[in-house]
Amino acid sequence: MAATADIAQANTQAAQTAERWRAVRYLFLIFLGFWLLFTLFPLYFMAITAFKSAAETNLTQPTFWPQEWFPENFVGVFAEPTNFSALVDSFIIATGNTLLSLLLGSLAGYAFARFPRQAGGENMAFWMLSNRMFPPVAILVPMFFLFDNTPWGTDSHISLIILYLVFNLPLATWLMMVFFRDVPHELEEAAYLDGWKPLRAFVKVTLPLVLPGMISVAMLCWIFAWNEYLFANLFVGSDVRTYTIVIPTFTHGSQTLWNLQMAFSLIAMIPPVVLFIVLRRYMVRGLSLGVVKG
Amino acid sequence: MTPERKEAVVSEIVRGTPSTYPAWFSARKRSKPLIVSRRVPILLVGLPVLVLLAIVIYPTIWMFYHSLRDTNINHLFSGEHASVGLENYRTVLSSERFHDSLWHLALYLFFGACLQVLLGTLLALIIYEYLKSNLARALILILLVLPMMLPPSIVGTLWRFLLTPSNGAINQALLDLGIISSHIEWFNAGVSLWSIIIADVWNWTALPLLIVYSGRVSLPPAVYEAARVDGAGQWKVLRRITLPMLKEVIAIAFILRFTDAFKFVDLVYVMTSGGPAQSSELPTYIAFQRGIREFAIGEAAAYAIIIFAISAIIVTLFLKYMKRVMKAQGLA
Repeated sequence: MAATADIAQANTQAAQTAERWRAVRYLFLIFLGFWLLFTLFPLYFMAITAFKSAAETNLTQPTFWPQEWFPENFVGVFAEPTNFSALVDSFIIATGNTLLSLLLGSLAGYAFARFPRQAGGENMAFWMLSNRMFPPVAILVPMFFLFDNTPWGTDSHISLIILYLVFNLPLATWLMMVFFRDVPHELEEAAYLDGWKPLRAFVKVTLPLVLPGMISVAMLCWIFAWNEYLFANLFVGSDVRTYTIVIPTFTHGSQTLWNLQMAFSLIAMIPPVVLFIVLRRYMVRGLSLGVVKG
Repeated sequence: MTPERKEAVVSEIVRGTPSTYPAWFSARKRSKPLIVSRRVPILLVGLPVLVLLAIVIYPTIWMFYHSLRDTNINHLFSGEHASVGLENYRTVLSSERFHDSLWHLALYLFFGACLQVLLGTLLALIIYEYLKSNLARALILILLVLPMMLPPSIVGTLWRFLLTPSNGAINQALLDLGIISSHIEWFNAGVSLWSIIIADVWNWTALPLLIVYSGRVSLPPAVYEAARVDGAGQWKVLRRITLPMLKEVIAIAFILRFTDAFKFVDLVYVMTSGGPAQSSELPTYIAFQRGIREFAIGEAAAYAIIIFAISAIIVTLFLKYMKRVMKAQGLA
């Protein structure tokens, strides 16, 4: 008898715990829903603002659905020709910096992966990585005066292409090292056996194997360079303008043209978002510096 | 190559006398496989290291030098700056403005960086445990990560727009929902720092979320199976299995956010410019402001060196920890 009572009691207890967990589960799902709302509301408002008329964005009571649709905003943004050239400038800088980071980063990454000791050991690799966390404020002022003394000056593509190496080169080096390590070096040695020269073995055997990783590193570097604001804000502005420094400047007299600003932002966020969706898996590895497998 | 020849070569390689390597590639020490002449790795690493030295070490030395001198914009161009010893550091360390900004930094680190990691972890586990369809998971992850793909200038202007006190969308939405009864002045003294923190949480919570989520995905299902067979409840599984196994991943996310938080300055610049009346300034912002806008280069350099020292300590700790994690994973 006692045994049955025990079992019955255990059963009710289990049922109670299950009940409690169901409640917790709903709480958590509600929280997730709330967070989705918090994340998406600003983006939603940005999107609909891009379709409003200038007058509607300045109403005393903001509207959550456009009274009148103004897709012309997306054309109007480019009425100012410098806005389009800003996107082009950003593209040139991001692409140039990506190529440079990838080239230098692959050299060092390959050396760290294949010849760890001769290339300076893990301390050297970690030192390279530590540069990514270097506070940019400590670089800004001296580099400004340094580039001021060069023939091309601060206000040029090349100055930003070089400066962005501060954060992109450590990332590229480190990630390329992780990717090169994944390729067993026996494969390369097998190619030497067949009498191939090292460069040929590298190009024909190792390179195709790291290519997917390399592409993802390139895209990550590209996104970081595309989105950079602080350096660009200080260094360029008249001859060259990146789109990130153009965004805060949409004003007409004392009034901010929110609709054009949001339309321009929407256009500019397409490349990074598309790249992210394509490379979700590598993104995690890149953002966590290779520690977490995506 | 005949089979015999190939076999001979293989055994040569195994014995460590790789005669098939080209001459310049051959080993000095013959005991190890694939050892190249000393110059190759140094050449490979040399160029990137030189570049980094030039763009990182040079500015550090420059800053250190000028932090000991009374440099301002005129002195800099005429080259007539004089040594003032530690005067700049004394000015910085004793200034009220710096103390306030340290307090702001502490608030920002706690409510910004720490909260992001906590929320990110919680959300990652919710998404993994309670959503069973892969499509739903992928979709929600993509939606939640969107803010991270935006540059600080868009995030800053967008939130300044949303939080406009008189006719901003957030105030209106909160009024409509009946949560508040009058407009919140988001950019008044004492509140503006919180506005920045909200924008930053919106922007960066996805990073810890992504990292912890990937960590959770890679945990072995067998462990959970065993726990289920043993009749462990959900709470116990979470506390005894999931969290301990994710400890390192969470720590990495935490440290990444922390090191970024020390560099953080762009949202302050775009959203409030440190105001009103310096009430939302962070140390990095003051260094930026003093050096770039007011050209008090000596003092800005002192700020930069102090910030650099703090972040160097944190980065060193981070790298030590990361070395351990990578060793445990067999990566290093």
